[in-house]
Amino acid sequence: MKSLLKFIPIATLVFLGIVAFNKVETTPVKCMVQLINYSGEGAYIITSLINPEGKYEKTLYVQGEDSEWYSDIPEWWKFYGKYRPNIDAITGETIAGGERSIILLQIPTEKIDAGYSIRFETSVEDKAYHKQDVQFELTSESIKSKVEGNGFIRYVRMMPQ
Amino acid sequence: MIRSIWRYSHLILAVSSSIFLLLAAVTGTILAVEPVSNATKDYSIEGLNEISITQTISGLKSKYMEVLELEITPSNYVVASILTEDFESKTIYIDPNDLSELGTVEDRATFFNFMTNFHRSLFLKSTGRIFVGIVSFLLCLIAITGLILLIKRQGGWLKLFGKIKERNFEQRYHVILGRWFLMPIIIISATGVFLSAEKFELTPSYSIQHTWKENNYDEFEAAELSDFPGLKKIHLNEVRKIVFPFSEDPEDFYQIQLANREILIHQFTGEIVSEQKYPFVQLASMLSMQLHTGEGNPIWAIILFISSGSILFFMYSGFAMTLKSLVKKKPKLTTTADKDEAEYIILVGSETGKTFDFAYRFSKSLESHDKLVHLSSLNEYSTYNNAKHIIIFTATYGDGDAPASATKFLKKFKQVEPKNPVDCTVVGFGSMLYPNYCSYAEDIQKELKAHSSFKSIMELTKINEQSFEQFRGWANNWGAKNNIPVHLVLLDSDIISRKRTVKFKVLDISEVNIDNTFLLKLKPHKHTKFKSGDLIGFTPPNARRERLYSIAKIDGSILLSIKKHEFGKCSNYLGLLKKGQIIDGTIEKNTKFHFPSKAPTVIMISNGTGIAPFLGMIQNNKNTSIHLFWGGRSAQSFNIYNSYAKDALTKKKIESFENAFSREGEQIYVQDLLLKNREFLVNAIENGAVIMICGSINMQNGVIKVIDNILEETSNLTLGDLDLNKQLKIDCY
Repeated sequence: MKSLLKFIPIATLVFLGIVAFNKVETTPVKCMVQLINYSGEGAYIITSLINPEGKYEKTLYVQGEDSEWYSDIPEWWKFYGKYRPNIDAITGETIAGGERSIILLQIPTEKIDAGYSIRFETSVEDKAYHKQDVQFELTSESIKSKVEGNGFIRYVRMMPQ
Repeated sequence: MIRSIWRYSHLILAVSSSIFLLLAAVTGTILAVEPVSNATKDYSIEGLNEISITQTISGLKSKYMEVLELEITPSNYVVASILTEDFESKTIYIDPNDLSELGTVEDRATFFNFMTNFHRSLFLKSTGRIFVGIVSFLLCLIAITGLILLIKRQGGWLKLFGKIKERNFEQRYHVILGRWFLMPIIIISATGVFLSAEKFELTPSYSIQHTWKENNYDEFEAAELSDFPGLKKIHLNEVRKIVFPFSEDPEDFYQIQLANREILIHQFTGEIVSEQKYPFVQLASMLSMQLHTGEGNPIWAIILFISSGSILFFMYSGFAMTLKSLVKKKPKLTTTADKDEAEYIILVGSETGKTFDFAYRFSKSLESHDKLVHLSSLNEYSTYNNAKHIIIFTATYGDGDAPASATKFLKKFKQVEPKNPVDCTVVGFGSMLYPNYCSYAEDIQKELKAHSSFKSIMELTKINEQSFEQFRGWANNWGAKNNIPVHLVLLDSDIISRKRTVKFKVLDISEVNIDNTFLLKLKPHKHTKFKSGDLIGFTPPNARRERLYSIAKIDGSILLSIKKHEFGKCSNYLGLLKKGQIIDGTIEKNTKFHFPSKAPTVIMISNGTGIAPFLGMIQNNKNTSIHLFWGGRSAQSFNIYNSYAKDALTKKKIESFENAFSREGEQIYVQDLLLKNREFLVNAIENGAVIMICGSINMQNGVIKVIDNILEETSNLTLGDLDLNKQLKIDCY
């Protein structure tokens, strides 16, 4: 028992070391989101990494800076709202109907070609919410492609850097 | 009638939107600070019109790994979104001349985000947005109705910036701020309406569609960026935003947003692939946004700041005025007789209700003699079966127009044929400082004289500044003519009990001089604040109405100059006081007659006991040049003030002092002294001298007339100007 207790600080140190020095390698991917023409407020667009089980793994980008509306994006809110990690670094402005924006996503390299997917969900005040406006599996091919959207997104184009 | 429609809609709109308007105005004022504070970070680039965009584009492309966008803000900041070597995205201010980085674009302060949100939707999401949209629409209507009222009030567009006749603080500044800020407020609210309407899709939707022939760009001959035909002639100052091609795909273009159009440029050949003008609605939307937020234009933002702040003042002053007039209307001014049984018909033309008060006093005093009196507004003019007397009391509105309760009178007067001949009298109310003094009353008098059924028994009487004494004088004359002893009744508002009663000790009381005048020196029992020019009121036993006397503050105590009137209850009561006796009195602040602190010269004009407040002011004078004119019956009349005058002269407290005696020597009045000194007077007035007048109403009228004549002959200034410049202070009785 005692030896086990002694082991705890060492284990902690080792664990922290792994966490600290094994920074996850990411692939920067340039991504253009083009919206359809609609009138009304700007769209909130959440880009998330989805694991092979279909669960949220990580928030990659949030377009929409006003956190009071986050709860109106229900699926993602269930994931994000519980812990609300700081997402300032990956937050940008909303874009309105017909506009496009270019964002930079840092996708963990190990998740590409590993059954993980990327999801774009959109919500526009007083209009609609699209849980899977765009969703596709992350492969070395798909991150160079153009994918049509089902909701407010006309298409998404990706380009690894 | 028309005017009252405007007024009621102005009021109803304001009341119904007040709470939301208050919130929107407060948050709007705060938000207007943002563009101003942004302007303090100076990333502004001059000479953008000399930098070609090809130069900037190629420079950025060679400096950075990847360029996403380039934006030129309305404040001429150049903002670039770029990717660094480490694949980090950055948004930075740059100087396009040498492509140096000036700073990083920081996130908008959370505070302003919070405020914007509050301003747009009051945190009520869509419901809030609807409210805010409606409120800005109402504000737009309020401002427009306000502008119409203002134009009517001032007597036309051209006089919008002319003199303001309103004296009352709320009214006066409602007008002053109104004429400066109504236009910006209309702009704020109209753009606000537009922006809200846009959110609710009430404006035509717009978006431009670029079209190009697909696959047409697969084969091309690349050209040097600097030779791009579509770009060469465009300079940075024309550009709002450049979106760089997403990839090297030939169908990814440079998207360039200019002031009024958007163009797509082939990224390799430089050919213009598509060019689309922005639709009008989109331009309107961009303009609305800029006008509404003041973004990029700190001067406009400051105007927005003051304007939204002024909304708060408008709300305060508007409600204060409404409340006052509501309170004023409270006493029900009704008479007992029906229009067809009354012998005495009293018709009133009033704008604010004050003229009604006078008419009411008069009708009550007739009723106390068991006369049948009918009191109504001039607008209710009609036939009267038993009428023997018609008495008209009327104010004048604006430039000689009918006041609110008389707007329909002249029209009705022409249509209604009286049933029997009547005696008539007209009394006008106004301020003699203005050129159209009682001119509406004159109009009525003229109409009545021209009509055979009306017999004017008295000439038109004009009451200046609601002088109760003048009105009493008229009422006595009227009563004498008609054999009715008129004793004007007191209204509740006349009986003063609101003020705190203070005990005063009689320090000294002088002998009565040949004019029946004596001096009374009092000391307040407790510490009480007062200044020369304030009023002290005494209510003698068995009297209902208090009498007011003007205070001179001499050596910290109160000096009063009192003339004994044969039947004057108060003056006789005060005349019997003995040294050491205690007496109750009330002190009433009279700021309008305080000594002006900033005037270079003060000209004091008085007669009889009116000199009293001046004696105090002179004693406390520091370095103002004072000229005193006094009128009395004889040199002896002045004896009781002699010691004070000598003291003032020896201590150089006054520059000059002249007397006029009406029963001795030249037999002149104080206004004749002014005529003698006309050059000095005009010169002093033009250099900002303040004229203070204290004494009898007759003296006031004489003095005002003389000053008016002198000014008319030798100066561009008018009495009205003096009044507006606060160069005229009057306290007469």
